[in-house]
Amino acid sequence: MTLLAPPKAPADTAGSPLGTRSGRRRRYDVRTRIITPYLMLAPGIILFAAFMLAPILYTIYLSFQRTQVVGLGLGSGARKQVFAGVANYVSALTNPEFAASVGRVLLYGLILIPTMLGLALLFALLLDSRRTRAAGFSRISIFLPYAVPAVISSLLWGFLYLPAVSPFYFVFDKLGWDVPSVLSSKLVLFGIANIALWGGVGFNMIVMYTSLKAVPTEIYEAARIDGASEVQTALRIKIPIIAPALVMTALFSMIATLQVFAEPTLLRPLTNSLSTSWSPLMLVYRDAFTRDNIYSAAATSVVIAVATFAVSFLFLRIVQKRAFGQED
Amino acid sequence: MTSMATPLRTAGGIRRGDRSKRERVSVASTTILLLGALYCLFPVFWVLTASTKDGSELFSTFTLAPSTHLWDNIVQLTQYRDGLFWRWMLNTALYAGLGALVSTYVSALSGYVLAKFTFPGKSTVFKVLLMGVLVPGVILAIPQYFLMAQVGLTNTYWAVFLPQIISPYGIYLARIYTAASVPTDVIEAARTEGAGEMHIFSRIAMPMMLPGLVTIFLFQFVAVWNNFMLPYIMLGDDNLFPITVGLNGLLNQGATAPALYTLVITGALLSVIPLIVLFLLLQRFWRVDLAAGAVKA
Amino acid sequence: MRTSLRMRALASVAAAALLLSGCSAGAGGDGGGDNGGDSSGPVDLNYWAWAPNLDKVVDIWNTKNPDIHVTVNKQDGGDPAITKLLTAIKAGSGAPDMIQAEYQKIPTLVASDALADLSAVGANDIKDKFPDAVWNSVTLGGDAVYSIPQDTGPMMAYYREDILKANNLTVPTTWDEYAETARALHKADPKVYLGTFSANDAGWFTGLSQQAGASWWSIDGDAWGVDIDAEATNKVADYWGGLVEEGVIDNKPMYTPAWNKGLNDGTQAGWVSSVWAPGVLSGNAADTAGKWIAAPLPQWDASNPSDGNWGGSSTGVTTQSKHPKQAMEFITWLNTDPEAIQALIDTSGIYPAATEAAAGALTEPPAFFSNQPDFYDVAAKVAQTVAPFTYGPNVNVAYSAYNDEFAKAAQAKKKSAFLDAVGAMQEITTADLKKSGFTVK
Repeated sequence: MTLLAPPKAPADTAGSPLGTRSGRRRRYDVRTRIITPYLMLAPGIILFAAFMLAPILYTIYLSFQRTQVVGLGLGSGARKQVFAGVANYVSALTNPEFAASVGRVLLYGLILIPTMLGLALLFALLLDSRRTRAAGFSRISIFLPYAVPAVISSLLWGFLYLPAVSPFYFVFDKLGWDVPSVLSSKLVLFGIANIALWGGVGFNMIVMYTSLKAVPTEIYEAARIDGASEVQTALRIKIPIIAPALVMTALFSMIATLQVFAEPTLLRPLTNSLSTSWSPLMLVYRDAFTRDNIYSAAATSVVIAVATFAVSFLFLRIVQKRAFGQED
Repeated sequence: MTSMATPLRTAGGIRRGDRSKRERVSVASTTILLLGALYCLFPVFWVLTASTKDGSELFSTFTLAPSTHLWDNIVQLTQYRDGLFWRWMLNTALYAGLGALVSTYVSALSGYVLAKFTFPGKSTVFKVLLMGVLVPGVILAIPQYFLMAQVGLTNTYWAVFLPQIISPYGIYLARIYTAASVPTDVIEAARTEGAGEMHIFSRIAMPMMLPGLVTIFLFQFVAVWNNFMLPYIMLGDDNLFPITVGLNGLLNQGATAPALYTLVITGALLSVIPLIVLFLLLQRFWRVDLAAGAVKA
Repeated sequence: MRTSLRMRALASVAAAALLLSGCSAGAGGDGGGDNGGDSSGPVDLNYWAWAPNLDKVVDIWNTKNPDIHVTVNKQDGGDPAITKLLTAIKAGSGAPDMIQAEYQKIPTLVASDALADLSAVGANDIKDKFPDAVWNSVTLGGDAVYSIPQDTGPMMAYYREDILKANNLTVPTTWDEYAETARALHKADPKVYLGTFSANDAGWFTGLSQQAGASWWSIDGDAWGVDIDAEATNKVADYWGGLVEEGVIDNKPMYTPAWNKGLNDGTQAGWVSSVWAPGVLSGNAADTAGKWIAAPLPQWDASNPSDGNWGGSSTGVTTQSKHPKQAMEFITWLNTDPEAIQALIDTSGIYPAATEAAAGALTEPPAFFSNQPDFYDVAAKVAQTVAPFTYGPNVNVAYSAYNDEFAKAAQAKKKSAFLDAVGAMQEITTADLKKSGFTVK
């Protein structure tokens, strides 16, 4: 079922008559077949090795080291790096702050991902509906926040959350409502989820909407003739057809959730309810930079990366089988 | 600005457009969509009004009431340390624009090879590359700094530019897009004519992949633009900062000199505008369904 | 002729290389760059600093000293600058020649071998320009000189005089009076607070504990002691916890848009701060100029006045600098020359550590306090009462523990939670020292 219609090949490729010089051209020998692709992959592989693989290996190396202090630890030569065994891993895994941060992020994901994907799907279906007006305007508007970096979006929402400067609380105040601050400890999770939702719903909506657009209209036509209502068409036909897109968006949302960092970090100075170890990556950042313990940070990073792999792997296996099964 | 998927299914789009005239307009669904749009536009609207205020108005007047100081703020921002803000904008254009361009080329080449060649180790190469998708930038930034320091490249343009050329996700997308849009027959035909492999890639395959490449470019552009950690760690000289790190610094200083808050807000507004323009311009090529298309292909 | 010139050039390059390697070996060996590089020929020095408009002050130097050109790289603030410096030191390259370092950061920097010993390049010659207590904090009580003091931050209290007057209140002189004033003010208008307890500003709480007699670290031979959970700190935590629990003192962090708004509209009617507050207030709440009054901190024991320190910084030379001698020349000028000090006061708004040189320059009050001609007399008086305090090698850990633990306490609004937070700080700080392999008493 190829739903992705490949664009027509540009005319120039078909310009020259085929096969005229094929006789003179010797067939590819095995060596060329192996060397050529690797030569062409070289830029990608070299960059990958230098800027992803090497840093990853270095992190793993660091995670098995620790500092050794001599005397008061002041002046040069008073600190050196020694092998630590798995001590950093033991302390990372038994650190209650780490467990707490993982718990928070799981809860955050449970709130954010269904909400974001649910809204994205709703918007995508409404955009695809023939009975909706102002679709172009809405589509652009909802997609717009994707262009706003997390640093800036957190700044904006931070202003909107602080009761003293927020227009929302200005209105609540005038109405005499006593609305608790979004930055209070009970609500701050929602506050952060909201920033991520704002930035992400449009992107996911576009992914789903473009897959909906790729569905042949004949399928809907048939459903209409069968007397299916628009809601029924959406539930029974459209959603199952774009299910693979939903899987992909869910996967990427999960990865992003595990890596939440910028929003809570930027909101932290505004409130007492966010600790420096609110999310796992904040903990890594704090250990590496604030506490100057890169070894412990490296171990925690490795744990997070392995967990991300574990969580994503099931997804990837499913996705990969369906995506590349026909090629490999 | 018609449908984003115009190049994909022009015919279907038009047919549906015709039919829609016969349909009753649904007030409920239109309202829901407009509420969504309102939710997404509100903070933008807030920046717009806030950037028209001077320092004292920002904290003293109703936040949605516009004032008249937008131009003053822009002038002040421009004057801040001899136009540093515009330097940050240029740096961002360099890191994100040129960086994403180079990145797209590398991704396209790698994706093309992985899709159209059969060679030993291909599956392993692809799987290893794909795992890169899962590694968070925050974790990479620290060891990247150490390695950059080994070659003395920290605090240079290269320190931010080079690590962001490699994009596992871009390669993944390029592979899917090549598989879907470049027919193997065409490549074989060119080979039999004696065309070199690089020639086939750049003259024949790349044009066919163009809409997909625009998507990869935009993804990478946004990824670089959003990557705060890497430049934050790598750079000490604020003449090299991209806009996000620069504005964050202003924001931190804003805590002690809130006159800077208005500059940060004005800067946020000005910095988002070019990105929005870029998206609107390129959206007709925009093919986000790649990710999903992969699964369906 | 040509050949000999070339030979000489080569020879001098070789000599320079020898000097450089000698210099780095020296820096590695005894923490000082005693041979300081070649002094002939112009050098470029990089200076990471965050004090406002410092580049303007440095411009004065650059026009006068074409041979030692200094470039200021403006940093976001004290913490990010030190973070970056430590990363660069660990990486072995990328550090600047000079760094603006807050006093509490010096032990951490020295422990990471980030600061060169300046005694080798004549730092002791200018020792007399600074008060002994301040000089102590850059030597850590030893023979080495790790940094040269730039400014200090003796704590002071600021009040909206008009608001106090309107409520028939006077400036409190003891903490008991401060509490009474806070209660009266909050009772008169529940929106108004005399101040806030900020869980974001560890340095602020440290200064208040210092005033009460705390010293969070101690050195005993080769062992470090951690004394956070001691009587003085608990007294301070208990006091503020009580006020927060009572609800008469705000519990929101300082330096947020909300707090700025409070300073503007009078709902924050006071600020327990430091000598540099006028610069912040004139930026935050320019329209309230002339309405404030500065006073010494309220006292625990009025008969025995004491003060704490919040802020203030020094200028250090990093171990990666190839020109410690030239850097020292510049630093000496920056922090002791009357012209530089005048410029620092006028354009950067700091309170210089070189007291005598500063005395001549500090005759006029800051513009924001034009209503209070004796502003700097008050400052000079309290500066003499700053209590001794020892910082340890993991101030960063103690401070981040403060942020987390006191944020919880401020959120809970319970006095007992404030005391628990002190205990947690002690535990985290001690555990970190032990984990890093320090000997802990």
